[in-house]
Amino acid sequence: MTSASPVLEVRHLSKTFWEKDGLLRRAGNRAVQDVGFTIAAGETFGIVGESGCGKSTVARLVMGLEKPDAGEVLFHGQRIDGLPERRLRPLRPRFQMVFQDSGSSLNGRKRVRDILAGPMIWHGVVPRGGAQARIDELLDMVGLPRGAQARYPHEFSGGQRQRICIARALSLNPELIILDEPVSALDVSVQAQILNLLRDLQARLGVSYLFIGHGLGAVRYISHRIAVMYRGRIVETAASEELFAHPAHPYTRALLDAVPSTDWNRRGRARIVLRGEAYGSGWDDGCAFRGRCPCADAACARAACELSPIDGDGHLSRCARAGDGPERS
Amino acid sequence: MEPLIEIRNLDISFRQGSGLVKCADGVSFSVWPGEILCLVGESGCGKSITALSILGLLGRQGHVTGGEILYGGRNLLALSQRELDAIRGREISMIFQDIMYSLNPVFTISSQLTEVIRRHLRCDRKQAEARALQLLGRTGLEPAAAVMRRYPHQLSGGMRQRAMIAMALACGPRLLIADEPTTALDVTIQLQIMQLLRALRDETGMAILLITHDLGLVAEMADRVVVMYAGQCVETGDACRLLTAPAHPYTRALLQAVPGTDAARDRRLLSIPGAVPEHYHDMTGCRFAARCPHSDVCGGNAHLFEPEPGRSVRCCEAVAGVIAP
Repeated sequence: MTSASPVLEVRHLSKTFWEKDGLLRRAGNRAVQDVGFTIAAGETFGIVGESGCGKSTVARLVMGLEKPDAGEVLFHGQRIDGLPERRLRPLRPRFQMVFQDSGSSLNGRKRVRDILAGPMIWHGVVPRGGAQARIDELLDMVGLPRGAQARYPHEFSGGQRQRICIARALSLNPELIILDEPVSALDVSVQAQILNLLRDLQARLGVSYLFIGHGLGAVRYISHRIAVMYRGRIVETAASEELFAHPAHPYTRALLDAVPSTDWNRRGRARIVLRGEAYGSGWDDGCAFRGRCPCADAACARAACELSPIDGDGHLSRCARAGDGPERS
Repeated sequence: MEPLIEIRNLDISFRQGSGLVKCADGVSFSVWPGEILCLVGESGCGKSITALSILGLLGRQGHVTGGEILYGGRNLLALSQRELDAIRGREISMIFQDIMYSLNPVFTISSQLTEVIRRHLRCDRKQAEARALQLLGRTGLEPAAAVMRRYPHQLSGGMRQRAMIAMALACGPRLLIADEPTTALDVTIQLQIMQLLRALRDETGMAILLITHDLGLVAEMADRVVVMYAGQCVETGDACRLLTAPAHPYTRALLQAVPGTDAARDRRLLSIPGAVPEHYHDMTGCRFAARCPHSDVCGGNAHLFEPEPGRSVRCCEAVAGVIAP
């Protein structure tokens, strides 16, 4: 493999969850449909969308916590979906995950020292009993006092616990960290600390991030490229600046308009207000957004648009009909 | 004009172990008729318990240990349960963040909504149902007749919050307390709900006390703002003045810590070092001092100052102009 190859490549990933609906019927929820993207070394790829859009399922599919129905997950060109655990284990240290709820993702009965040492000993990164220097280094890296290692997770605030989770993810020198809503549960002052920490660590270590979030400001701040998901599909993807400056898909435009701004001068601005909420099972061939879309016409019910280029710079949108976009009111 | 409700030097304590812990300390502000007042702060700053105390909803563990809440010349804290019941849900009503648990799962929307109307307005079932239909239509729950027959679990989050709003509006309240009404909702639904609340305020002239942690919502909704930190009001003022010229170091820092969708990505977010003190209850002096960049000049002095009419700031340096605007 050449060094220019992406760290992570995801192709045509799909996943449907089946639920019992009545005695014999089963209801399917197409959580992820035909999702694809790549992440280069040292890059942050953000996935943004509202609840139920499938963004967390993508994270779990990449980590191998769920098995995809179709599609491929390639880590440095090697397929990792469907690998037996025995063959996946040697690769595990190279991609790590940080969850939203730092409280439940740390073992409350272990001291921070043991939480950090555990994975390193298990994967043979350090010899048993020889983790001390590395633990000190990790705590320094995430901005926690070295004295923290003798304490238990519940003794820390939410922001500090998230720092412990980040230190644990970093302990194995990963090339990719998957961050599933890492700042959503934090207060805004602490959220800024964690976002800055993640950016500093990336500049220093060259690690790649897959950053999942619903706060558009946070996703924009951390990501180089962003995909917007709606009802299981990527509806638009572009470089971060480009996406926010020239959103193309009607959903992206409405989503950006809906984010409250702290800028007093933007108060009362004209915005797209979507009607209704996401609904339906997404089983037909039409565009999943058409029920709420101000630009939808009869053709949108017959077939959904493909993800196609807007310009040459990798800006793709799944809407050919929006034109200049919906009216703002 | 008289304020609709006036909170004066409110102290609220919670029982913890054998002692009492003071979670709101000398909170004072007024809500004027027809205005949207935003109470903003991070988690644990005391904004929700302040709102709950207005309606006597603190529960067994919470006690108001000082101050008064004046409404129409009466102190709400001194009323009996019976007297309070005549005001709650009729003149002052409330909607909550937790839309899952704020509606009773075993009753239909119709029975929960008509109960409120019949209880307070003393009308018969027919009239109550007509009023309920009208309310559901106004809050955007269409078709209203079908929604009436539904149970809460058959509605989405946004629809449940609309049903809550319909219930809160049932008796034409003069004050609606909205405690983080959209925190559990998606941002496109949040926009719908906020536009609805604003339109309802414009139509009915009721005042709204909006409790939130989101400064973006404050900038879009508020006529006036109260910023709380560690159980105290640290800054109060007209929304435009407070947001364009924040005086308290905490207000300023909070505004700079929000990652916007319009700011340049290369601008580094300003973060506030440390975290909200957990045991602020017996702190003396300025509670923000440990995180404040100016604490070396002020010596932790934290009295309330009034730099201009209608503005109050709990920071002497901000008032003295030492902290450049």
